[in-house]
Amino acid sequence: MPLVNFSTREITCKLVYYGPGRCGKTTNLLYIHGRVPEQRRGNMVSLATQSDRTLFFDFLPLELGVISGFTTRFQLYTVPGQVYYNATRRLVLQGADGVVFVADSQARRFDDNLESFQDLQENLLDQGVDIRQIPLVLQYNKQDLPSDLILSPADLDDAFNFRNVPSLPADALHGAGVFETLKALTSLVLQRLAVRPPAP
Amino acid sequence: MRAIEPWVEAPLGGFLKESAARLTLLMTSSGQVVAQHGFTRSLDVMAASALGAGIMASTFELAKVMGIRPLDAVVHQGTGLGIYLGAFDTPRGRWLGLVVFGDETSLGLVQYFFARLAEDLGKAAPAAEPPRQVLAENFEDELNSSLRALFGR
Amino acid sequence: MLRALLDGLTRIAGVRGALVVSGEDGIVVAETVMEGVDGRAVAALAGSLAARMCGVTGALGHPDPVLLHLQGTDGGLFAAAARAGLLVVAVTSPDVNAGELRLVLLRAAERAA
Repeated sequence: MPLVNFSTREITCKLVYYGPGRCGKTTNLLYIHGRVPEQRRGNMVSLATQSDRTLFFDFLPLELGVISGFTTRFQLYTVPGQVYYNATRRLVLQGADGVVFVADSQARRFDDNLESFQDLQENLLDQGVDIRQIPLVLQYNKQDLPSDLILSPADLDDAFNFRNVPSLPADALHGAGVFETLKALTSLVLQRLAVRPPAP
Repeated sequence: MRAIEPWVEAPLGGFLKESAARLTLLMTSSGQVVAQHGFTRSLDVMAASALGAGIMASTFELAKVMGIRPLDAVVHQGTGLGIYLGAFDTPRGRWLGLVVFGDETSLGLVQYFFARLAEDLGKAAPAAEPPRQVLAENFEDELNSSLRALFGR
Repeated sequence: MLRALLDGLTRIAGVRGALVVSGEDGIVVAETVMEGVDGRAVAALAGSLAARMCGVTGALGHPDPVLLHLQGTDGGLFAAAARAGLLVVAVTSPDVNAGELRLVLLRAAERAA
C-alpha cells in the first residue's frame, strides 16, 4: 500500500516500469523528466552500464500536487531488462504499489516480452504478491514503427492482457502514450486509498 | 525533523542529539521514507532513500550469494564525511537508516547510538493501525487535473 | 600481539576490560572485556572523549594529551594515546590501583604503536 503520512498529509507511491531489455522503460522516465517542471521533480538517478543499459534502476521522484488534501508523490523506478539481472529486478520490485509492463511491440521481440512478463509474475509471487492483485497497466511501446514489423495492440492484448487491465499504445521516444500510461496507473493505485474499508 | 508517525520522533530526536549526525533518513526496506532530518528538499530525500534501499538490498543479496549471514550495516568513509547504512527489524517490518556524519562525531558513536535507536523504535512502535479511507471517492478529477498541470497539457 | 598487550592490562586487579580503539572512528580494534562491559559503547565514547580533550588542550596551546583518566563513583576509564590514532583503553572498578594501571597502560600504548 502507498505510504500515508496523516500528520503532514502526504502520500507516497512506488511505481515500477517493468519489461524486457531495450523496450523503452528508461525512455518513459526520460520523457517524463523532460516534460515536468523542475520544481515538481527531483533529479533522475540512473545506475547504468557504460553502454547506457540500466544496471540497477532508474529513479525519478515526482510531486503530483494535492489530491483530497494530501500532497501526493510518486517514485518512478525502472528495472534492468536484461535477463541476467533478475536479482536486481526482484529488489527493485520490492514494495511496489503498481507496475507498468512495457512491452516492445516489434514482432521479433514477442518471446522477450513473454519471458519478461512471466518473470514479473514469478518475482511478484516471490514476494507473496499475486499479479492479479497489484495495480497493473500494459504499455505497448514502439507503435510508431512500420506496421509490418510490429504487432497491433489487439494482438498484444490477446497475449498479455488476460486480466483486462488498462492497455495503451505508445511511442515513448516522442511521448505518445507516456502521460496516459502514468495516468492509468496512478488512478489504479490511488483508487485503493479511496475505498472505504469494511466495518470491523 | 519530519516523521511519518509521531512515535518515531522521540527515539530519532535522541539519536540525533547523541550521535551528532548531520543527515539522517529512516526508510522501509523498499525505499519509502519514514522520517528524515537535515534534508531540505523532499525530492532529494526520495532519491537518497531509493539509493540507500538499493545498496542495502544488494548487500543482503550479496551475503546470500556468498552463503554468509545477512550483513546489517554498510559504511562508506569519505574525506570529512562518512555514510552509515544500517538495517533493523521493527514491529512495522524491516527498516533502514542512512546516516551522514562528519568530523564532529565518529563512526563508533553513530554505530552505537544507531543500535540504541533501533531498540528504542522497536519498543515505541504501536500496533499497526487498520487501513482507513484516505482519499475522497471522486478523487479522479483532482488527479487528472494535477497530472495535466504537471505535463503542461 | 594485541591480545598479549590486553592480557597484560586485564591481569591488574580491578580492570574490567581493556581495548585497543581506533580513536578517530571510535571503533574497537581488539578487546578483552568482562561480561556487562559493552566494548562497542566504551570504544565509541572513549574515542569521542579523547577527540574532545585534544580539542581542549589544542585550544590551550598544548600538545594532545597522552593519558586520560575519567573517574566515576562506580568505576573509571583510562585511555592512553598510541601512534597511528590508536587508543589503549581500560575500564576499571573503583578499587583499581590507578598508579600501577597508568604505568602499564602507557607502556602498552608504546607497544601498540
